[in-house]
Amino acid sequence: MADVDLTELGAAAVDAAQGGESVEAYAEETRRTEVTARKGEVEGLTFAESRGVGVRLIGAGRLGYAYAADPTVDEVRAAVARARESAVFGTEDEFNALPGRDDAERIPELFRESEASVTADRLVSLGLDLERLATTSDPRVKKVDEAQVGDAVSRVAIASTSGTRAEYARTDCWCVVVALAEEDGETQTGYSFRLARELGELEWADVAGEAATRAARMLGATKPSTAKIPVVLDPFAGSSFLGVLSGALSAESVQKGRSLFAEMLGEEVAADSVTLVDDGRLLEGPGAAPFDDEGVPTQRTELIARGELHGFLHNTYTARRGGADSTGNARRGGYRSAPGVGTSNFFIEAGGADPDGIIRAAEGGILIQDVSGVHSGANPISGQFSVGATGLRISGGELGEPLREMTIASTITDMLKAMQAVGSDLRFFTSVGVPTILIGEMTVAGV
Amino acid sequence: MLPRELVVEVLAAARARGGSFAELFVEERTSTSIRLDDGKIEELTTGIDRGAGVRVGRGTAYGYAFSNRLDREALLQLATAAAASIREGNPGGTVDLREREPAVRHRAERAPSDVSSADKVGWLREVDDVARSFSPEVRQVIGVYGDSLQRVLIATSDGRWVQEERPRIRLVSNVVAARDGNIQTGFEGPAGLAGVEFLDAHRPRETAEKAARMAVTMLDSLPAPAGEMPVVLGPGSGGVLFHEACGHGLEADLISKEASIYRGRLGDRLASPLVTGVDDATVPNAWGSFSFDDEGAPSQRTVLFEGGLLRGYLYDRLRAEEDGVPSTGNGRRQSYAHPPIPRMTNSYILAGEAKADDVLRDTQRGVYVKAIGGGQVNPATGDFVFGVSEGFVIRGGELGAPVRGANLVGRGIDILTAIDAVADDFETREGICGKDGQGVPVGNGSPTLRIARMTVGGTGEASGSAAAGGSGGPGG
Repeated sequence: MADVDLTELGAAAVDAAQGGESVEAYAEETRRTEVTARKGEVEGLTFAESRGVGVRLIGAGRLGYAYAADPTVDEVRAAVARARESAVFGTEDEFNALPGRDDAERIPELFRESEASVTADRLVSLGLDLERLATTSDPRVKKVDEAQVGDAVSRVAIASTSGTRAEYARTDCWCVVVALAEEDGETQTGYSFRLARELGELEWADVAGEAATRAARMLGATKPSTAKIPVVLDPFAGSSFLGVLSGALSAESVQKGRSLFAEMLGEEVAADSVTLVDDGRLLEGPGAAPFDDEGVPTQRTELIARGELHGFLHNTYTARRGGADSTGNARRGGYRSAPGVGTSNFFIEAGGADPDGIIRAAEGGILIQDVSGVHSGANPISGQFSVGATGLRISGGELGEPLREMTIASTITDMLKAMQAVGSDLRFFTSVGVPTILIGEMTVAGV
Repeated sequence: MLPRELVVEVLAAARARGGSFAELFVEERTSTSIRLDDGKIEELTTGIDRGAGVRVGRGTAYGYAFSNRLDREALLQLATAAAASIREGNPGGTVDLREREPAVRHRAERAPSDVSSADKVGWLREVDDVARSFSPEVRQVIGVYGDSLQRVLIATSDGRWVQEERPRIRLVSNVVAARDGNIQTGFEGPAGLAGVEFLDAHRPRETAEKAARMAVTMLDSLPAPAGEMPVVLGPGSGGVLFHEACGHGLEADLISKEASIYRGRLGDRLASPLVTGVDDATVPNAWGSFSFDDEGAPSQRTVLFEGGLLRGYLYDRLRAEEDGVPSTGNGRRQSYAHPPIPRMTNSYILAGEAKADDVLRDTQRGVYVKAIGGGQVNPATGDFVFGVSEGFVIRGGELGAPVRGANLVGRGIDILTAIDAVADDFETREGICGKDGQGVPVGNGSPTLRIARMTVGGTGEASGSAAAGGSGGPGG
């Protein structure tokens, strides 16, 4: 890629530390290609190369941060100087510290040589194939809003004055289909996607077929009447709620009094069918990595075990402040920001229930296939939410008429406690995974 | 930012296989962000970003390549990569590059780079102090200050050469209040395309007070009623609705993809006759404004609805060429790392003639929405959902108890058609709008509006049978 490698840039930052300072350099580089197909043509092809370094500096318990895009060694040194100037204004905090050196076990499966050499031409032909698959599986689905194929090769290197020297590389690829179903002037959309580490592992026909089915079965949807009824969350819908849960289970939220779980450690917070886990070493999950964004090895952490709240997600700062150990959950949005707390593979463990059996058990209820507005409609602190939903009526043990323009409302804790059955069909969406879930009763508002 | 000869060379390389045009977008951005949380200045970050993107267009298809390396070798490699989207063709030319003068300039009077970090930290301290002293029930305050200076150079094979500096500033206050295990939040975040003088008109103290008042007010809230009812949207919040429920469907990429219900409907009555809506990037120093869009087209004011009739769409270059119309200057991108797409800038429903107090007094029963937390829309169907972050029941033409957990659900066309009152008290709200993985600054604006009927989602009983609310909330 570029002339100076990431290790050298990291070393330059560490060397620029002055007496008593802790300095960490987080360096990353990515090469990404994305192809979007529509109407049998390449609508868009994007090729990207980026690299950058973020410097975290702690002096006398004060934190400063600076970053630079594609820096030279001199620019990395300048970033250390800027972080030093910024640290002066930080509030002194005894818990500000870098993790000590802790070498993580490598996960060689994350990097696939075959993916690193995929050409744009190959992605173009896969993108065109994907669109064709999506528009030929159901007569009512003749076009797509989007059919996209992409891949990325990335490398991360972390070096610090504590002796951390962590590096790893990964490959990722994905395909996305948003199918449009049309009948009698009405249009409905259906979405599906998959992630994998190499193109050969992507289930193209499944993605295309699923998007088409999810669009076509919503044709003719009507608004239900308002009622309290059983609700089945399919994995697409369930995954939307996990984002809210992950915020509430972060030790950062707990320590700042912004978590609904703050005082509930050891208590029953969910039905006993619910075990919620974060596992950065789970290979099936797209969020797997050998170490977190400050170089601490990843691990499996049970946050809720059979309904009982067991723990929270920690990075080095929250662990020191809370008298705990880091769970390897330091996360940052790239080199431009200092690490906070986040998830790796965050999922509700598969249960014993057969998904079809769950649907039969929810007679008279609704299968929710999509929720919208969770980011605005759910309050991560109070746990209250009210979100828009689309889905299908369950009657005679089967999926029936499509429903739209409805909202479901509850609180996160009420919903967790009402999870009467958890399906065996755990499925990951980006780094979040959920099986089909039966909720005993929820308010569904329509007419 | 780059020598002209090099730019010409890159554009020529990008047109090696033809295409309708080639474009080079170069960006440098310096930024400062400071975060106060839990009474502490947690982090002060300074950043330097730079990069370039090369785009080659052919019809509505494009190839785009970007990198944060700006040397000749890297730029020529980008040109070749972008040209790869075109299978074969003859080289195209480049017209002489001519500098364009902006019709509108948005000047920063006082550059944030001339203000010390100590002063910036001081504004956040003020936010923290004011919010905490507002009420003993205020438990937590987050303040975020950010400024950035984005310098762009845009050059195209058809002769555009545009340079612009865009200074942006924002101060956000998030407040958490608690009482007996009930936790509520408040938010306020004014933002502008301006210098530090922006904070003279939008004082940190007022930002903190507004957020604190909202959080504390919501402590008295009762579960929102559910069902269909009249909804009065306070000034500004209707702009968020307009943006989500309607504006996205007017973006020409969605029209072109036949994924918008507004396709082919120009001239039709698709909103109440009371509704006139515009998208306007020329509003002086507004958060969503600029002099040129990210394709080098001059900023402009585009009428979207006039007296309820659909009058226009929001175009970028590719979609404008497809439809044989001029770009409306709505081609925007988050940064060099993104190809431009049609985006809103400042989207407003313009003020009407009614008085806000009269609109409320004429409403027997319903919900008053003072602040909307954000929303989402499916442009193909027009279905949307908004969270209500501060709302009240309306009873007998007056505001009653605040309501929690409410959201608004509906379809854009239905809602705009159902507007039966437009007041004269216009206000704006600033935000970052996300689309296709790109966030850009947008302004939303409106006066007080009433929607005759709309679905409200909540956990309370339907409004027709709801028990009388608690004691009266603050007067709007």
